[in-house]
Amino acid sequence: MSRAALGALLLALALRPAAGQLVTVGPQFALADYREVASGLRYRGSGFGGSLWARRDRLSVEAAVVRLSLDPADGSAATTGFTATQVDAWVAYDVAAYASVEVGVLHRSADPEFDAQSVGAVRVGARSFYEIGPGATVVFRANYLAAPKFSGGGRAAISLDLGLGLDIRLAGRLHGTATYAFNRMNRKTNPGGTGEIDAPIQVSLARVGLALGL
Amino acid sequence: MARYLGAVVCFAGLAVPALGAAQAAQNATLRRAQLAYDNLEYRQVLTLARAALRERLTGAERARAYELLGFTYGAMDSILKAVDAFKQLVLIDPERQLDPNRVSPKAYSAFDVALRQVLLVRQLRVDSVSFVGGQGAVPVRFTVTQPARVVARAIGTGGTVVIDSGAWNGQVNLRWPARLAGGDPVPPGTYTLVVDARLGQNTFSASQPIRVSHGRVDTVPSVTSLPGYQFLPETEIPPQSWRPVGLAFLYTGGALVGTLGLESSSLGSGSKRELGLVGGAALVTGFVMMLRKPAPRPAAANILYNRLLRDQIARRNQDIARENVARRQQVQVTVAPVPQVTPK
Repeated sequence: MSRAALGALLLALALRPAAGQLVTVGPQFALADYREVASGLRYRGSGFGGSLWARRDRLSVEAAVVRLSLDPADGSAATTGFTATQVDAWVAYDVAAYASVEVGVLHRSADPEFDAQSVGAVRVGARSFYEIGPGATVVFRANYLAAPKFSGGGRAAISLDLGLGLDIRLAGRLHGTATYAFNRMNRKTNPGGTGEIDAPIQVSLARVGLALGL
Repeated sequence: MARYLGAVVCFAGLAVPALGAAQAAQNATLRRAQLAYDNLEYRQVLTLARAALRERLTGAERARAYELLGFTYGAMDSILKAVDAFKQLVLIDPERQLDPNRVSPKAYSAFDVALRQVLLVRQLRVDSVSFVGGQGAVPVRFTVTQPARVVARAIGTGGTVVIDSGAWNGQVNLRWPARLAGGDPVPPGTYTLVVDARLGQNTFSASQPIRVSHGRVDTVPSVTSLPGYQFLPETEIPPQSWRPVGLAFLYTGGALVGTLGLESSSLGSGSKRELGLVGGAALVTGFVMMLRKPAPRPAAANILYNRLLRDQIARRNQDIARENVARRQQVQVTVAPVPQVTPK
């Protein structure tokens, strides 16, 4: 699914007033932990982003973008940090009152380009959600990251993404949101045709923010 | 002494019915006859009453004279003459009624025999009534003193309407639907209810004026509830439970186990700061929600019950609407007897 098509879908869903439709949009603060290739190459950082969520009947879409400044963690072999921009998007369809199946995309780019792997993948998975109280919903998500593409090449047959989310209606249209995502990509590369070597990527990302219901 | 007292009471009883009328009598001879009756001078009563009847008397005075004769003949054990006197009395005043508690048994039985020997239609009564045209009737009752062919009619604005006819005797109860032959309600106006009785050559008629008026039939208001049935609350507050914190723990635990399971050994143990932040928030939220009053949830049974009740009310209102359409085309007939002016 192209960005333009996704954007058009989101816009159409957001702007079309109908019964059963709900849209939330708001800013987020993010914390992240990024590891790549070996335990010695790890980064930690924070950043800001935003999210949008919309529902119409059984169909819901969610998109989040975050820009992270990642610096080498204590004991890291890295000497310089980098900036990462990650875009996540999902389209979900409720199959039960507490579960839905979803597809989406993941795209993370690094700047400078070769300081870390930029990656793009298709998400396929499911999520479970439950209202634990008035206006409070918890979400658990598991996605398989299919057909990942890395800027440095290579492949990752096993790539998974787990998520935990919380949405609380604080007052009226104001919501508080917190989401956690952990993704692991078993990337393998074959530099120079000398045989495959493991170059896994692991990211922990927490986003906390506010959202306004429209 | 006891016998003397009893006789006084008996004579006093005979005299009581005459007291009221004696005061009303204008004719001097009749007054004297009344006085003689009060003094138990029966022979003088006979003389004076007969003399009074030969004079010019009003109808009421003539009736009183025959009544005095009847009572006097009764007291003198001349029952046949008493009966004759009472026959004259009821022919003049068919509505005359004796109180069995206040007149002597002899006089009362003579009066009763006299009633059966003349053809009368007495005590014609029409009750005030109001009903929707075609759905009610006017109660009419009267007494025929002898077996006779009787015809009851209503004569007035709408012409003559035969109410009923038959061979009747004694108390007769009729119900008049106040409709014309075509089924329409009789037009409003004043009518005279006439009851004709015929026995051989003897005839007797009694009448009672009545007033018939038309009005609009009240429509029935729509209902918002059914008697005995109440709407039930469509939401219910579930009891407090550990479910919120349990679910938060389950979801957070799932994320933690998944994270631990997916962590790459070659990359070392990852940071739990992010999971701690979000998982902690989920657990705290679950704990708070556990302590909070649960949100109302839909009560499916009550919703179904209310829906059925609303359907019933809607159905009832449809019936009422149909009934009101019919009622607007109907007429409320009110029948009331008109008081008759008693001739002096």
